[in-house]
Amino acid sequence: MSETSASVIRVANVSKVYGAGEAAATALSEISLDVARGSWVAVMGPSGHGKSTLLQIMGGLDRPSCGQVYLDGIELSTLGSAQLAYTRARAIGFVFQSFNLLSHLTALENIQLALWFGGKESKEGHARAIDLLDSVGLADKAHLTPSALSGGQQQRVAVARALANDPDILLMDEPTGNLDSASEADLLALLGRLHAQGRTIVMVTHNPVVAESAQRIVRVKDGRVEEDRYNGS
Amino acid sequence: MNLFKLVWRNLLRRKGRFVFTLGGVAIGMAAFVSLLTIGQGLDREIKKQAQGLGANLVVTPKGWCAYEQISVLTGEQLPEAIPMSEVDKIRAVPGVKNVIPYVNEKTAFRNRPVPVIGVLPEEMRALQKWEIAAGRYFNGADEPAVVVGAAIATQFQLKPGDTFTVRGNPLPIVGVLSEAGNKDDVASFVPLPVVQELYEVKGMVSFALVQVDDLQQVDTVSLRIQEKANVAVVTDKQLLSSILSIVGTVSGAMQAVAAVGVLAAAFGIINTLLTAVYERRREIGIMQAVGSTRRTLFAAFLLESGLYGLLGGFVGVLMGILGAYVLGPYLTDNAFTASLRQSPEPSLDGTTLLLTFGLSIGLALAAGLYPAYRSTKLSPVEAMRIV
Ligand SMILES: Nc1ncnc2c1ncn2[C@@H]1O[C@H](COP(=O)(O)OP(=O)(O)OP(=O)(O)O)[C@@H](O)[C@H]1O
Ligand SMILES: [Mg+2]
Repeated sequence: MSETSASVIRVANVSKVYGAGEAAATALSEISLDVARGSWVAVMGPSGHGKSTLLQIMGGLDRPSCGQVYLDGIELSTLGSAQLAYTRARAIGFVFQSFNLLSHLTALENIQLALWFGGKESKEGHARAIDLLDSVGLADKAHLTPSALSGGQQQRVAVARALANDPDILLMDEPTGNLDSASEADLLALLGRLHAQGRTIVMVTHNPVVAESAQRIVRVKDGRVEEDRYNGS
Repeated sequence: MNLFKLVWRNLLRRKGRFVFTLGGVAIGMAAFVSLLTIGQGLDREIKKQAQGLGANLVVTPKGWCAYEQISVLTGEQLPEAIPMSEVDKIRAVPGVKNVIPYVNEKTAFRNRPVPVIGVLPEEMRALQKWEIAAGRYFNGADEPAVVVGAAIATQFQLKPGDTFTVRGNPLPIVGVLSEAGNKDDVASFVPLPVVQELYEVKGMVSFALVQVDDLQQVDTVSLRIQEKANVAVVTDKQLLSSILSIVGTVSGAMQAVAAVGVLAAAFGIINTLLTAVYERRREIGIMQAVGSTRRTLFAAFLLESGLYGLLGGFVGVLMGILGAYVLGPYLTDNAFTASLRQSPEPSLDGTTLLLTFGLSIGLALAAGLYPAYRSTKLSPVEAMRIV
């Protein structure tokens, strides 16, 4: 009981198989992972071994083929689509590996959209969206569409969007993958502040230096946890 | 960000497609409005002509049916098939107040056909309450002279003292009638005996109008006339309803065409939105991943289609009003309307316009239901993988 309440995210024996028959690909095989509230976890591992899949399943973007995922002790498959949407909008901030900004909206509007889904009206949304862009150093790019932004800038807009509704859980798929070392340091500092405020962060990264900022490093291989260690231990 | 802003941005993303789909809706609605409006105008014009008749009963030769009866209203050329002796018999029928026999002929004046109506001057004037705009009225029941309708006077620039030709015979114009707003404006009038002589139909008339003493007795009088004289009789109401039923089939056909146009517009909207759902499936996935409910996605597509209806309906109604005025004269060009003083004015009434506007929005919303439903059936992760 105490274990579940401490785990804000709990992945229990989750498998994920994409496709069927000959073409079936197993991305996760009976993986289990508990993430404590307020912890900062880095997920590492070779390409194509299920890191993104794990993150998506944790965020309720996809359903596991078998096994359960609990968020705050609630099993995700028991949620209806409206509740799931509410969770995605308010409780989780997701940064996609490929950013996934809406191409016809400006940086500002992309953030405003997320704010709107989280229940914020246009008026208050505007000021907050500007603040968020400022916090990732892009206040001056507010009115550019993604095609006019560099990869690193798009990535930072995606981070700002993930923070829009002050979620307790941040799930970030390679949030620093396209950043130079200065912006990377800035982002890590931002994440450090968010972590200090008590947010739970799970981030996928290939970069050992970035992973060192986290408290705990989970290595995923062949859809399983290969290594799970705490930093400095 | 709000729903309306999001939808508006989406709407304008493919400007060409937006314009063409909107054009389809607008044209469908324009057809609907103009055809409806023209039909109503035609109806109204017929009723006006029927009122201009001023009589309670119309006496026609035996065997006349609706199509021939229409010509009583239109002032077309008619065979003279009722002997004056029958007219005298009708005069003697109890309950008959007044009998006005007509001879309907046509003459060529300056190479244009003009109806020549032979009338009994005094009875006619009493029935129609004609006003004289210029000159004077006939000085007797057989004065060889012409009184012309207002529109004819304007068209040929005629004034009292000018000469009119009836079947090649010059007759002086003694007067011009004030505008009456019906077919009398486009005819020339000559005392009955004079016309009968010029057209060699002595003792015969085309038809006769009858006024009765007591409106309650119309049907009884009608029966009595048919007993006493060898003629057919219809009441003005029967005449009107048989004409309206003929015109009604024309209006019905126009409405069917309009309905097809409107349906085609609805399918245009469905098509455009299904394409949009397909094109945007990646971003629909992203929106869901970022926290959009299905309800929001549904509402967004429904609003998008509703806007097609709103904008298309608005443009369509405007185009339709224009179309009714421009195309109306051609569409209603037939034997009936050709003889009207002018082609029927389209009748614009607010109810029709509002109804069309509402129909446009309602239909567009209905058209949006399926695409909107489809948009909610995408799973976020699969949709996001699409490049
Ligand atoms: N929607 C899908 N359909 C089919 N196969 C998929 C799908 N998504 C992922 N896979 C497969 O599942 C496996 C794990 O993919 P995943 O994206 O989770 O890897 P990853 O660890 O994030 O890799 P990378 O470090 O390159 O981002 C891969 O073999 C991939 O091909
Ligand atoms: Mg990945």
